[in-house]
This record gives sequence, C-alpha cells and structure tokens, in this order.
Amino acid sequence: MKDKQFWLYSGGFLLLLLVYWLGGHPYFKAERFVMFAAILLMAGTLIYYIRAANRHEEFYLRPIPGLKAVEEAVGRSTEMGKPVLYVPGIMDMDQVETVAGVIVLGHVAKMTARYETSLNVPVSRSIVMKAAREACRESYMVEGHPDMFHDDMVHYITDDQFAYAAGVNGIMIREKPAAVLYMGKFYAESLILAETGNSIGAIQIAGTASQAQIPFFVTACDYTLIGEEFFAASAYLSQKPELIGGVKGQDMIKAGIITIIFIAVFLRFINDVWGIGPDILQILTVQ
Amino acid sequence: MIWKRQIPILIVTIVGLLTLFGWFIDEPTVESFVNDDATQWYDILASFAIFLGALNLMKMQINKIIKKKPGWIYSIIAILGFIFAITAGFFIKGVEGVEWGAHVTTDGTLFKWMFDFVFTPLSATMFSLLAFFVASAAYRSFRIRNFEASLLLVSGIIIMIGRVPVGGIISSWFVMYILVLALGIGLNIRFKNKMITLAVVGGGILAVTTAGMLSGWPLDQPSIFYLPVLQDWIYFYPNVAGTRAIMIGIGLGIFATSIRYILGIEKSYIGE
Amino acid sequence: MKTITDLILKMGKTDRRWIFLIIALVTLLPLFFPIGLPIRATEQTRVVYEAIEQLPPNSKVLLSVEYSPATKPENHPMTISVMRHLFRNKHKVYITCLWPDGQFMAQDVINMVAVDEFNLTYGEDYVFLGFRPGNEAVIKGIVSNIRKLYTVDVYQTLVDEIPMMDGINKFTDFDFLFSSSSGFPGTIEWVQYAADPTGVPMSSGVTSIQVNEVMPYVQSGQMKGVLAGMPGAAEYEALIGIKGDATSGMDAQSIAHIVIVLFIFLGNAAFFIERKRSKKY
Repeated sequence: MKDKQFWLYSGGFLLLLLVYWLGGHPYFKAERFVMFAAILLMAGTLIYYIRAANRHEEFYLRPIPGLKAVEEAVGRSTEMGKPVLYVPGIMDMDQVETVAGVIVLGHVAKMTARYETSLNVPVSRSIVMKAAREACRESYMVEGHPDMFHDDMVHYITDDQFAYAAGVNGIMIREKPAAVLYMGKFYAESLILAETGNSIGAIQIAGTASQAQIPFFVTACDYTLIGEEFFAASAYLSQKPELIGGVKGQDMIKAGIITIIFIAVFLRFINDVWGIGPDILQILTVQ
Repeated sequence: MIWKRQIPILIVTIVGLLTLFGWFIDEPTVESFVNDDATQWYDILASFAIFLGALNLMKMQINKIIKKKPGWIYSIIAILGFIFAITAGFFIKGVEGVEWGAHVTTDGTLFKWMFDFVFTPLSATMFSLLAFFVASAAYRSFRIRNFEASLLLVSGIIIMIGRVPVGGIISSWFVMYILVLALGIGLNIRFKNKMITLAVVGGGILAVTTAGMLSGWPLDQPSIFYLPVLQDWIYFYPNVAGTRAIMIGIGLGIFATSIRYILGIEKSYIGE
Repeated sequence: MKTITDLILKMGKTDRRWIFLIIALVTLLPLFFPIGLPIRATEQTRVVYEAIEQLPPNSKVLLSVEYSPATKPENHPMTISVMRHLFRNKHKVYITCLWPDGQFMAQDVINMVAVDEFNLTYGEDYVFLGFRPGNEAVIKGIVSNIRKLYTVDVYQTLVDEIPMMDGINKFTDFDFLFSSSSGFPGTIEWVQYAADPTGVPMSSGVTSIQVNEVMPYVQSGQMKGVLAGMPGAAEYEALIGIKGDATSGMDAQSIAHIVIVLFIFLGNAAFFIERKRSKKY
C-alpha cells in the first residue's frame, strides 16, 4: 500500500466499472469479460511497478550477457576500424519485434555515435527505413554528433525476403563488418545471414521472438536474446527506471500466470475426475 | 516540437486504446475499425511508403555507379532489373487479349516469364543455401560439451534421421544395440572398470538378442526405440512444452511493450 | 593410431566449402539415381488425411496458399496432393492467397490438378479468389464478410456471377480450411483469427522450420494434424497413392540427413581428440 495514489485511482476505476456493470453494461461483450479483466490486471501490475521505479525503488535486473556484449561489439568495431551492421529483421512496423528492433537500434546508434564508428542499417521495409532513420538521427543528436549522421546509413534494399538476405550477405562479404546485430523478426533467412556473418569472423548478437529461428541464431551467433530478453533490451540499455519497473512488472505477471496454470490444472483435474467445481477450460478460453 | 513529440504519442495512445479495448465493445462501427479499417489504413500507408524505399534504392545504386564504389557493376544490374520489372508490370504485357491485373499470372506474359525464369530460380537458390548452412552450422556447433549439449545432440540426430524415410527402415532393435554400446561407453568413462563395462555390454546384448528372437524382430517394436515414433514424441511433448513456455514469455513481452507504448512510457521510437 | 587421429583432426578443421560440396553431391546423386526408400505416414499426416477423408461429399473447402517460389519444393507437393484428394472426393474448393507470390503458386496447382488431371469446370467445382493485401486483415475480412473483401475473382469475374459462391458469405459457410503456409501471414494467423474463434476445422501444411512453432496448436486440438515439410508431403502422397515431387525428394533428403549426422560425429571425434591432447600438454 505504498502507492496510495495508485490504489485510489484503481479503486475509483473499479467502482466506475462496477456501476457500469450493474447498470446493464451496454455495448460490452460480456462473454469476453475474463480477457478484459486479465488485461486490466496485467496493465495495472505494470503501471504499479513503473510508478514504484519512478519513486526510486530499487529493482534487480538480471545481467543479460547478450546486451552487455553490445557495447563490447561496438568497441571491437571501433578498434578494428570496421563498421557495425545492424539488421532490424524482415517485417514491417506492425510487428512488435520490429518496433523493439528499432528501439534497440536507437541505443546502438548512441554507442556508434559515442565511439565514432560507422553504422550500416539495411532495411527491408520503407516504413522501417523512416522509423530507423529517425531513431538514429535522434541518437546522433543526443550524443552531440549530428554531423556524423547521414540518411544513407539506414537504407532500403527490398521487401522480398531472400533478395534482402542476398543483399545483406553481399554487404557482409564486401564490407566485412566487425559486429553484426540481428534484432527483429526473422524467418528462414536467419541462418543464411548468421552463417555468412560467422564466416567473416564478425561478433554476432541476435535478438528475436521468432521461435523457429532461435535455434539457428543460438548456433551461429555469439549471443542470442530470446523472446522477452529482447523486449527487455530497451530497459536494460537505457537503465531508465520506468522501463526497468516495466520489466519487474512483467516478471510479476509471469509469476501470476504460473500460479494460474497450477490452479487451472488442479481445477481441471477435479472437474474431470469427480465433476467438482467449474469447468475452468470454458472460463479461460478466449471467446 | 509538438508535432514530433506530443502529437505522435497522442495518436499512438488513442489508436492503441481503441484497438485494445475495441475488441470488447459491441458496436459495429468500432468493430469494423478494429477488425478491418485500422489494419488496412496501415497497409495503404505502407503501400505509398514503398516509393520512398524504391527511390532510396535507386539513389544508393546510382551513387555507387557514379562514385565507382566496389561492386558498382552489380548496381547496373540492379537498376536494369528494377526498370524491367516496372515495364513488365505496368507497360508491356507481352500477350494481347489479357486483362491488366490478370496478366501477372497468365502464361506467356512478360511478367509471368520474369516470375518463372528469373524470380523463382533466384529465390529457390537462396532458400536452398539453407541446406548447406545447416550442415556447416551443425558440424561446427553440435558438440558434446556437457549434459545439455549431449541431450540436444541426441534429440537432433533422432529428429534428423526419424523424420526421413531412412529412419523408418532402421529397426528399433538396432537402436537398442546402439544404446547398450553407448551405455557401455558411459560406464567406462565413469568407472574406468573393464569388468563392469564388459558385464553391462555383454548382458545388454544378450538381453536384446533374446528379446528379439522371442518376439521375431519386429521392425517397429518396441515402438519407444523406433526412430519415427521417437521423433514424433519429441516433437509433440518436449518441443511443445518448450515452445509454449517461450510463447508465453514472448506474449508477455509483446503485451508489456505495447502497454508501454500506449501509455507513452516508451518513447524511443520518436528518438527519446 | 596417431595417423588416424591426425586425419580426424585434419578433417575436423576442414574448410566449410568441402562440406558444401559433399552436401551438394549427396543431394544430387539420389535425384538422378533414386533408391526408392519406403515411406510410412506419421501420426500427424494421418490425422490430416483422415480429417479430409471424413468430409462428406460436396463439402466447401477453403484452400489458402501462402508461400513463395523459395519454399516451392516443400509446400507445392502438399498443396498438389491435398487438392487431388479434395477433387477425388468431390469437394468444392475455394482458393485464396495471403501472399502475392501465392497467387502464382496456386495458379500452377490449379492448372496441373483441376484443369489437366480432373478437367473440372471453373466456377462450379473450384473458384480462384486470389490475393488480397492486408495480412491478418484479410483473414478477419474472410471471417466477417468475404463478399466485401472479394468482389471479383482473379480473372476479374464478378463473384456474384460465380455459381459456387452462392451461400458463401463468411468463413463459417466453409466446412474445412487447409492452409499451405511458409511463414507470416499463414497457419498461425488462420488459427488465431479464423478457425479457433469460429470452430471451423482446419489443417495445415508447413515448412520443416515452422513445425515446432505450429505444434502447440496441433496438440491443443486447434488444428487437425499438420503436414511437416517435404517428408509430410511425401507421406501424404503415399496415403493418397499418387507419388509426386516430394516422394522423389525423400531419397535425397534421407541421404543428406545421414551425411550431416556423420559430419556431426566427425566433428565430435575431432573435438574429443583435441581436448584430450590439450589436457595432455
């Protein structure tokens, strides 16, 4: 009960919701209530921990070797006088992984600006090109090197999956970057890219939520951020309290989900075997 | 500054909340917006943005040719390919009596020719590279370094062999003999005692042979040692368990990232 | 002994281009000189086959084609076999594409199966609705109102004038969905936005890489089986009794897999010898 304001607003909101519900809840799809409640609960947990972080509550963030290695990789490129290649996946900005990839790009661009290392970002979607350019431009400005930024450091290759892979492979073979970062949504081109990067001896760090590609990246890259680690990258790299609070909130939600899984399995068991209690499967199924 | 900061955040918040909670609202206009319009708006925007990409591509390639950068000769091919694709798509059908639009899938048209004889073999070539890269990656990284790596290696081999027809002709009795030998190697490494190794391997071979002779050596029995069945089991249980755990984590990550956007906490996409 | 270990060590450090060459050779040779390994259908392929086999005649089946020429060797044979199976059992087939390239692939399958093999009538036995941009939005559109999304078919014929489209207004008007997919948008989106919310049964054929991603949906019963890559396609060919490209590719894939396993053994042997020597010194 440390955050009185949070509980006050939450209470008020719930009261309003109760009044609305008792009033016949017009325009509301009642069969989706469980999902609605879950969203509110999860969003509430996130907001609570973000606010806690803003009040300077300390949260432990498990070290993620892959993210620690990002700065090392940029440093290595600087020492070798070679560029950093950043591949933000092959999908558009409507995929959260691409968005997360562009966010991490912003942080990487800050590092390359700081170290005065050249950065090459080939993209496969025009909107990603615009977003990635903005992220890089801002990062170079923040680091006080706007002169080092040029539009063509983020350039479009093609929308086609394998043509893009061929284009990026060509860049790797010609420019031999010292560090290659793959952060975004990938499909079958992942191993083609990562193996080529491996063959030129680049330090490779991948981050993706594309489950099918994780084994390929683990095999061919030096470090791989798997799923949520990738989404937590922004918090880790920026060390902003509100983002770190979000990661903590995410962990608490996960603990909640694990508890629900156990309870649901138990309820399902007793319902199946003895016919006692509600059919939890029916309740939890998204309508 | 308001156009680059507050307005974009406001748009994200409003559209984000509408899309998130629109799913619970029983009102046709909102439903139509959430289900169809919002995504289609994005596609319309993205379609127009393709011009930006195309222009950037051309600019880069022309620049490369003018400055004679390494590999500039390929830039000429890229530009010619670009012009050819546009010509085949919008200006020359190659066959009379075919509707514009239908010409892309009609045999004999210039566009279909380009698709069949340029695009298809090039795409297939890139995809087929995977076979080579999978081989070299597996060769390099599948090492018995520790228990987990060994487990990965064994599962990988079961899947690789069990998935293809050759796995179906490998008898489960052969797999059992291999297991007995592997057990012998393991015990020998652990205890370094030849007698124990000999006893276990000898006993194992005798037991398998006796069981085989009594049952008539059926190819797929006991099914637990039959590779196609074993690989199906690995796919269906351990794999699904791991995949589900990762799926839940990813789903949570996506949810948390989206909420951070909607609430305006994550502003990196506008450069903050 | 030392000569052998030295040789293994040397082979362990071999240039990867040699591996590429060997893989190319072992893949090519069985294509020219087939061995004819027997193909046994796995459980998942059988489930797909049974799901289609048990459909009553004249069922309305939506066949969605979402793959590009890149994955043609894996997806095309399964699309061909499923279409053969559907037409053999006298079903009505409605073909849509979520990928632009899918339209070319679907047209190829139609020419081969519906036109050349079964000599069927367009608009009465099958209809080719084609590609619409919008990814998941297309699926949502098919679920809510297919007529709004498709006013004309691929050949620019008005959908209202196609006899087969009578009574087809939304996704629940179909009896079954088969998605031949190699990525996004594809099988997973069909499960999430169409099959699961509406209860219309569906099966899918996917590339080998995708199998572990779609398996949770198969296990939960949201999908009726899955054709897993080229082996799945070959098994389906065996079940319907018509051999095709997938069956002929199975020998090559079998040998290639064995060679990769041998490479792994070789790599490990070199790894152990090296580790033993480094401990010694």
